[in-house]
Amino acid sequence: MLFPWSGLALTLRPDFMLLVILFWLLRAPNQCSVGTAWFMGLWIDLASGGIFGQYALAYTITTFFAVIYQRRLVLFSSTQQLVYVFSLLFLSQLILLILKTFAGKEFLGWSYFLPSITGVLLWKLAVTFGLNTGRHAHGN
Amino acid sequence: MMRGIHQNFDQQQAPAFFARGPSPLARLSFFTALSLALMATDSRLQYLSGVRENLMTLLHPLQIVANAPSDLYHFTDEYFSTHHHLLNENARLKKQALMQDIALQRLTILNLENTNLRNLLEAKQSLLETSTLAEVIHVGRDAFTKKIIVNRGKNHNVVTGAAAVDAKGVIGQVTRTYPSSSEITLITDKSLAIPIQIERNGLRAIAFGKGRDNTLDLPYLPANVDIRRGDKLVTSGIDGVYPAGLAVATVTEMRTTQDSPFAHIVCVPAGGIENNRQILLVSIPQAELETVNETVVSEKSKPVSSSTAAKPVTTNTANEKPAQEPPLPSEKTTQKTTEKPAPKPLANDGHRPHAQQ
Repeated sequence: MLFPWSGLALTLRPDFMLLVILFWLLRAPNQCSVGTAWFMGLWIDLASGGIFGQYALAYTITTFFAVIYQRRLVLFSSTQQLVYVFSLLFLSQLILLILKTFAGKEFLGWSYFLPSITGVLLWKLAVTFGLNTGRHAHGN
Repeated sequence: MMRGIHQNFDQQQAPAFFARGPSPLARLSFFTALSLALMATDSRLQYLSGVRENLMTLLHPLQIVANAPSDLYHFTDEYFSTHHHLLNENARLKKQALMQDIALQRLTILNLENTNLRNLLEAKQSLLETSTLAEVIHVGRDAFTKKIIVNRGKNHNVVTGAAAVDAKGVIGQVTRTYPSSSEITLITDKSLAIPIQIERNGLRAIAFGKGRDNTLDLPYLPANVDIRRGDKLVTSGIDGVYPAGLAVATVTEMRTTQDSPFAHIVCVPAGGIENNRQILLVSIPQAELETVNETVVSEKSKPVSSSTAAKPVTTNTANEKPAQEPPLPSEKTTQKTTEKPAPKPLANDGHRPHAQQ
């Protein structure tokens, strides 16, 4: 669990930044929006030494889909929410894949999408340990 | 029950016409356009390198804070390591130091001898390289490129193009330097090429990263090339970027197929590509590039006989022969003069050919 990531852990490493952004989008939609995600994506671009704007674009589009469904998302059941979070994580990776393909990189195999799965497992873990992801069960 | 739902809705369903700002779709299009513009600017034009450097300076403290828990873990781990463990390690290190001392003595003598021989040949002296110890602070998120960030930068005299080495071999090259950190592209990255030499027979080639599986490729070598499984690849040093003789990789697969004129060679890096926290950044002093250029200039003005001395790369026996002969007949001299410009492009290889990013 400790830095630096290597080997298998690197392949499985979930996108922590996107998970945090999605969490705050559901939890505090008035403080956090598409712009926040874009800005954080820019920092990720900077830290990973890639071309500026790749992660920013992926995060922007992903959070857009989170924002327009935000009202419905907080009413979803836990499982429905997990599926939705998974599709959002998958979407962000897909956008990155498309951008990288344009830049001439080749597909890394299906293990490329593993971080989406570990990401959603992390989300599940956080919810199990009582993190309120903005979902309000009726009758509580 | 009803009250609970109402509370939620009070909190989130603010009237759409105030306090919501622009619609999500408007934001999406704005930020998408901004990202695309940034991508185009960054990949095609070189305007943003200064911005990147400044932002990286801002990011550096954050990275240190993010690493603090793991640093603390390692620190406490070291602090509470047992007496027995320390004694063992101490004994092992002492033994290692003794053995290396002996090897070092031999190396000193060899170095001295080498210097004398080079003096006799009037060849250029190989300069001692400078090295900096750095520690990995961040492994890039991007799965498509193999890059790591280390905690030494311009302030510590790290230069772009320096080789990153661990105890077992080369692991990468410094591709960008920031004030207090620098970016290393690993040799397994697809965009990085490294000039190598087969240790067994001295054959030179260029190894390319494969981009996945942590392996290296040796492309464009003919099917009948003399490379076997288990051959060791070392840096050739003719590029003037990497010091010569550092271990790079071991050949694990050598395959020829009927339908391709080229051999299919796969190598596994010698260094711990993704395992080490500490990395040594080795750079050849800039002075060497100048001396290389000087030798080229002096060669042009010098008589024919000395031109072979500074031709370490094309040491064909056919070329060496005329140098030892007494003054030559005129036709042979013309043959030599046509050969004279040969060292120039080789020496120019000293300008980091693959340091481009």
